[in-house]
Amino acid sequence: MKLWLAHTKAELLALLRTPGFLIPTMLFPSMFFLMFAAPNLPGPEAANFATGSFMTFAVFTVTFFQFGVGTANERENPWSSFVRVLPASPLYRTAAKVTTAAVLALLAALVLVLASAASTPLDLPLARWPRIFLALAAGGVMMGMLGTALAYLVTPKAALPLANLIYLPLAFMGGMWMPPELLPKIVQGLSPYLPSRQWMELVWPAVMGTSWDTVHWLAVAGFTVAFALLAGWAQRRDEAVR
Amino acid sequence: MIASVKDVHKRLGRVAALRGVSLEVHEGELLALLGPNGAGKTTLVSLLVGLRSPDRGTLRLAGGDPRQPATRRVLGLTPQATGFPPALRVREVVELVRAHYPHPQPTEALLDRFGLGELAARNVQALSGGQARRLAVALAFAGNPRLAVLDEPTTGLDVGSRRALWREIERFRREGGTVLLTTHYLEEAEALADRVAVMNRGRIVSEGSPEAIKRRVGLKRVRFRAAECPELAGVERHEREGDLHTLWTADADALVRQMVEKAAAFADLEVLPVSLEEAFLAVLDEEEAA
Repeated sequence: MKLWLAHTKAELLALLRTPGFLIPTMLFPSMFFLMFAAPNLPGPEAANFATGSFMTFAVFTVTFFQFGVGTANERENPWSSFVRVLPASPLYRTAAKVTTAAVLALLAALVLVLASAASTPLDLPLARWPRIFLALAAGGVMMGMLGTALAYLVTPKAALPLANLIYLPLAFMGGMWMPPELLPKIVQGLSPYLPSRQWMELVWPAVMGTSWDTVHWLAVAGFTVAFALLAGWAQRRDEAVR
Repeated sequence: MIASVKDVHKRLGRVAALRGVSLEVHEGELLALLGPNGAGKTTLVSLLVGLRSPDRGTLRLAGGDPRQPATRRVLGLTPQATGFPPALRVREVVELVRAHYPHPQPTEALLDRFGLGELAARNVQALSGGQARRLAVALAFAGNPRLAVLDEPTTGLDVGSRRALWREIERFRREGGTVLLTTHYLEEAEALADRVAVMNRGRIVSEGSPEAIKRRVGLKRVRFRAAECPELAGVERHEREGDLHTLWTADADALVRQMVEKAAAFADLEVLPVSLEEAFLAVLDEEEAA
């Protein structure tokens, strides 16, 4: 507990003191939402749907970059080797990273909900929030795993550009920026096979108050396991050469 | 014995970094691991502190496996001076490290001892090279370890800061601590160590008292002009270009004395230092080839 707190504190302090990273990450999804989505939302249904999509986008941004680019930067910094040999199970550091990402993701989602509440006829009853929270968290774990895999697969310098190259198309084709029926035809065909779309299929029922279809939970679980295995393999490969 | 290494091999990518290393660290001693850059010192340390696993061979730390976090509670070590986290302050870094140990040093006392009291609120990235080195060594002692592993603790320090760090290392030892120190300064090994193990190209090539090691690798170059050079004892290597002679020796004073006694007609006498790297090339590689 003490170690988890100590590591979480260190991670959060480091983030709070680098506003150049923190503020854009927090504000980018909301800015996108206000510019492109908010002006075209006629009623509460559409507002709820779009808010769900962009909240997911916000959580995606934080988890994917925090674990992708963050882990890649750590690989370059000898400090992380030092911390690794301090007498503590690596679980504490992982737990601290997950906590940090969760705090940031919550903040980013909160900023988005506030932006939406101020600019659209958003109407999300309190009863829907536990399911929204669960769906966001499940996908956040999945994307954290994908980010970690990326961080260990490529050189630290390549991680940021590659992360952007993966993240923007995944968000777009997964339906985070517009409802899937408005996507180009070819993308519509591709979309259901993407982890981002499967994630949306969990978030949309949660914001709309409809029931979940088990198959999407299985898909998200499957992607999570696959990304975790890939991350584990890439990490062992990386340790073997260093 | 607090740490032992038995016939350890480690390959890093294509490089055979360790090629059969065996070494023991005894409780209470200061063992210096001496060798030129690239000898394998840092790799050996990284295995001993549990950062990597050996390809072959065994390592024990306080009777346990250093890969197990609980085993490493006896261990304190220095981070590389360049590698502090991006945005933490000196005090925060010390406290993060302390949190890992059951009986750590009080933060204030530790900071004061290493001359960091005034800098406690400073961002670690804003420290000078010497201050960062002091913090690195302070972190090795923060957890009150039984064994402190100091990887190149004084590289790049001025004489004053180096002496100050040496004093803190001595003090840790008086309180019963064991130190394993890597260095490529022979003077540092000489000043601090009870025992020196010399590494070269992934092997321990020599082990002994600092004096004995100094006799083997603490070379000087004596250079002079002379038409003829008399027979002299204690010359490791003799180079000649025209009338310019360069003699490599462990004891330059004795060599010059011999030359005077033998009434050699020399001019332009110079005594030049030999870096450890050069000494290794001159002495150890020849021995290995023989």
